[in-house]
Amino acid sequence: MLRYLLRRGFMALLVALTVSVAAFVLLNVAVDPAMAIAGEDADLLLVEQIREQYGFDRPIYVQYFEWLTRLFHGDFGESYYWNKPVGELILSHAPVTLQLALMAIFVTVVISIPLGTLAALKQNSLIDRIALSTAVSAQAIPNFWLGLMMIILFSVTWQIFPVSGDDTFAHFILPSFVLGASSVPAVMRLTRNGLLDVLSSDYIRTARSKGFGGIRLLLQHAMRNALLPVVSVLAVQLGQKLGGSVITESIFAINGLGRLALESILGGDIPTVQMLVFVFALTFVIMTLLADLLNAWLDPRLRLG
Amino acid sequence: MKIPISTIKFVLPLVFLIVSTATPVFASKKDDTMVIAFTREILNLDYMQTTKREYIMLSDLIDETLFHVDTETFEIKPNLAKSYTYVDDKTIDVVLREDVTFHDGSKLTADDVYYTYQYVIEDNMNKPHKTTVRWLKSVEKTGDFTVRFTLKTNYPLALRDMARRIRIRQNNIYGTTGNYDKNTQTTSLNGLGPYKVVSFDPGKVVVLERYENYYDSPKGRPAIKRIKIRSIPDLGTQQAELMTGNIDWLYNVPMDIARNMGSTGRAAHLEGPSLRVGFIPLDAGGVSGKDNPLTKVEVRRAIIHAIDRQGIVENLVGGTSEVIHAACHPIQFGCTDDVAKYEYDPEKAKKMIVDAGYPNGFPLDFWAYREQQVSEAIASDLTKVGIDVNLRYSKLSALNKARRAREIPAYFGTWASGGTADVAAIANVHWSIDSDRNLSGDPKVTELMLGAENTNVPGEREEFYRKGLQLISDQAYWVPLYAFTANYLTSKDLIFPIPKDGLPRLYSTSWK
Amino acid sequence: MSSTELPISGTPLTLETETVTELTPRQLLIRRIKGHKGLIIGFTVIIGLIIVGIFAPMFAPHDPYEQILSKRLIPPVWSPGGTTEYLLGTDHLGRDYLSRLIYGTRISLMIGYGAATVGLFIGVSMGICAGYFGGRVDQLISYILTCQLSLPGLLLTMTLVFFIGPSVYVVIGVIGVLHWTYYLVVSRSAAMQIRQMDYIAAAKSIGCSKFHIIRKEILPNLMSQIIVIFTLEVGFAILAESALSFLGIGIQAPTPSWGLMIAEGKVAMFFQPWLVIIPGAALFVLVLATNLMGDGIRDVTAPENRN
Repeated sequence: MLRYLLRRGFMALLVALTVSVAAFVLLNVAVDPAMAIAGEDADLLLVEQIREQYGFDRPIYVQYFEWLTRLFHGDFGESYYWNKPVGELILSHAPVTLQLALMAIFVTVVISIPLGTLAALKQNSLIDRIALSTAVSAQAIPNFWLGLMMIILFSVTWQIFPVSGDDTFAHFILPSFVLGASSVPAVMRLTRNGLLDVLSSDYIRTARSKGFGGIRLLLQHAMRNALLPVVSVLAVQLGQKLGGSVITESIFAINGLGRLALESILGGDIPTVQMLVFVFALTFVIMTLLADLLNAWLDPRLRLG
Repeated sequence: MKIPISTIKFVLPLVFLIVSTATPVFASKKDDTMVIAFTREILNLDYMQTTKREYIMLSDLIDETLFHVDTETFEIKPNLAKSYTYVDDKTIDVVLREDVTFHDGSKLTADDVYYTYQYVIEDNMNKPHKTTVRWLKSVEKTGDFTVRFTLKTNYPLALRDMARRIRIRQNNIYGTTGNYDKNTQTTSLNGLGPYKVVSFDPGKVVVLERYENYYDSPKGRPAIKRIKIRSIPDLGTQQAELMTGNIDWLYNVPMDIARNMGSTGRAAHLEGPSLRVGFIPLDAGGVSGKDNPLTKVEVRRAIIHAIDRQGIVENLVGGTSEVIHAACHPIQFGCTDDVAKYEYDPEKAKKMIVDAGYPNGFPLDFWAYREQQVSEAIASDLTKVGIDVNLRYSKLSALNKARRAREIPAYFGTWASGGTADVAAIANVHWSIDSDRNLSGDPKVTELMLGAENTNVPGEREEFYRKGLQLISDQAYWVPLYAFTANYLTSKDLIFPIPKDGLPRLYSTSWK
Repeated sequence: MSSTELPISGTPLTLETETVTELTPRQLLIRRIKGHKGLIIGFTVIIGLIIVGIFAPMFAPHDPYEQILSKRLIPPVWSPGGTTEYLLGTDHLGRDYLSRLIYGTRISLMIGYGAATVGLFIGVSMGICAGYFGGRVDQLISYILTCQLSLPGLLLTMTLVFFIGPSVYVVIGVIGVLHWTYYLVVSRSAAMQIRQMDYIAAAKSIGCSKFHIIRKEILPNLMSQIIVIFTLEVGFAILAESALSFLGIGIQAPTPSWGLMIAEGKVAMFFQPWLVIIPGAALFVLVLATNLMGDGIRDVTAPENRN
């Protein structure tokens, strides 16, 4: 187990490093950071001064290694646009997005697992068909559209939930529904199909033929096995939600990492965008690693693979 | 189907919790808090670091300047200064009020004023206001409450720049010479204004509260106790918040939305003037390519004839907007309407272009960065008279970059003169000889438009501008388009005095 | 609980008997297609939209770029104030909304199919290399895959499109270059399976070149699975473009993209809701049809994977 853990950990680190190189090079090629700092009305002389002052005139690999060295010393760089250390920015915006992502995953689980289970138990029934067609339709609804409709219905027409902001728990309900809804189709299908596989497997059939059955069998054996892949997908989804909440945060005026990312892009703030790409990638790598370890722990056969 | 009691026990409190926390907290008269929303974010409190419009409004609430621009007459009046005297053309003596305190309670003295100006003068690349005091040679403290300013040259707008740009800071607040830390006032600010900062969450919200020891300033004592400034990037969300009564004030609202929202009765729609004007500089000097069609005066004149400015103003801009004929805002000092005018006549325009030697028209890159609807409308008008327009709608930074590289033959420019009602505020930037915005290539224009800054006599300045503006119109160096209008949406409980120069003074709002 | 078991044991039985007795695989496929409502609906809608897109100038009643400022914001024909001249009303510049929607079909389809094609070439070529050659090549490509998967897709798409400059081709390129992982996974495992089959060994033994084997033997066998992913990626790309436009980073005006139409209309969503609802509905129908077609193709070509 330790060897497996070490190997997977090393792999994850390597991936994170590669991603950081990609993010760094891509952004430095795409944008002129000196121009971004100098601002829209600056004259060319000032741009040149800044380029020298910040060292943007040096080769890109030198800049990258400097960036990496600083990173290892816990220095995440300085944002030009927000005039703040990037690390501080990310830390201060992270809790809101984390709360949003966790609540979104909760919404996904609450909707998709019961629905998927029901669909599998009553395969080809009306419920199954409704569940499946809901999934297909839901996949085709643009996220931002859903958000706008939610605001019109629940906030303006019925005035049940606040329109925007992130002050209280109630502020998170609509956005987490919108963000969580996008994962429902995938997770629901996965639950349904996983459960169908397990239900048709030999041991469940045997158990049933011997007279065991009902809810107990379902919960104790079938669900446990069927939900294994679901759990790992959820972990990965959580990683994606953290980086994918830009639209939701923008509609509901939630001041989290997504807003930070969007504003930094529009403001040409490369250090922040760079670090965000890196942090999101790192989070994703860690979530995948955890999911793998969880699976390995639950299913010993995988450890050998 | 039977629901177990335990489930009910669990679910009911949850429902109560959600419903109870969900009841929106209404912004309003009742708790004496005005909530306003900006599309752009407030990232830092210190006006010294920014020039954007939202920051001017915020700074007007929390900061003070030596002089005050009267909102009705645009006269310069003393503010923190009790009085001032011009010792000679280049020396101004200022006597300060003695009853002014910072938000932390400490008294304003000449040290603070001296320190502030010294800080701005000293070389520091990251200060956007350095260029605004390029006329200032030195500042000295001449007593506990007296300060002397020495100018480099005779500069008529010195008081105005001091009134607009330089917000007074406390002595040593950024540290001492050589050890300045520009960020000490970014997240909490010790100002002099009618409101003090209670809390600030960058990019999200600023909460201000009336400063009770505020002096007897020309701005007057504020009526509303608390102001909350929220950042809401999405216009749709802003409307939803306004409709549910969570926001009391919005500005820069598109005309259609403002009208519709006003007609629902859920909010009041106010229209007012704005100092911003729109115009199209044309490449008469051939900077984007020698001998391009725009170097011919007939082609430039034809372009003005081709654009239905009145139609645009009536249908797209609305409000108090009006077509302009000179290269300035009509309310600005020095602006005149006594210039060549070109009426809308597409047939004539088409013929002029043919006569100028372009029977099949010519291709034209037309750049724009805001007012997308209007840009599209202009492009379509030009297409109608045979010009093959390629509308390059881009970010301002991209436009600036291309203009610096001398690649732009024509662009939709706008300018708000930083809220200054004087032609100088639009002339200097656009007509100085080394400005990349000056596409005219005509030294005579520069001579006239900038020459006005070398005299203090109002009549002489006006004469310079009149001749300059006449030359610009006659040669069609610009297509003057229209003066903008500002649309506001406010809560029905609110009294908001509409600013003549388009710069909202939030400190003078009150409840009905 | 009996309902769960019936179809599982029932369906394959009937199919088997039919196959044995009368039908060739081709006839069987056609029969399956005919019996699959989702596939037929999806396919018909897509074909219809493609025709509309290609022959847009013939369908559109007006020039989609022509503005008449005096005829701004006319509501659709079924609302009070609507006219038959502008069936779906006009937008904020007085342009015919129906014509813009029709021309927008082109843009959305171009982006959807364009981006999915770019992704297809990248993903399938890497996947086949990995699966067919195995060893180091496979390790390297799997590593690239892991890196790609961990990148925050939406954020990176936004960043690149914004900084490179938002044109139709940039949007197609960026979305395509960032979405090829499904192709890779599927074609890799398929290529691996096929490689071990007898007929490939036979082809090798008679001296066929690797390229020949890949082109003639592996690719055709991958086709059905690739088509399924392709259709689903088309839907994804269309949604991604609309999200970019919504954030103001996507395709720029006056191009009539559906995403851009929603973004332009959202400002007026409380007062001229049709500006948002019409392109939103069009987007929904297109993506739904695409997904139905993708699911349908999977069902009929590989019924064993039906669940």
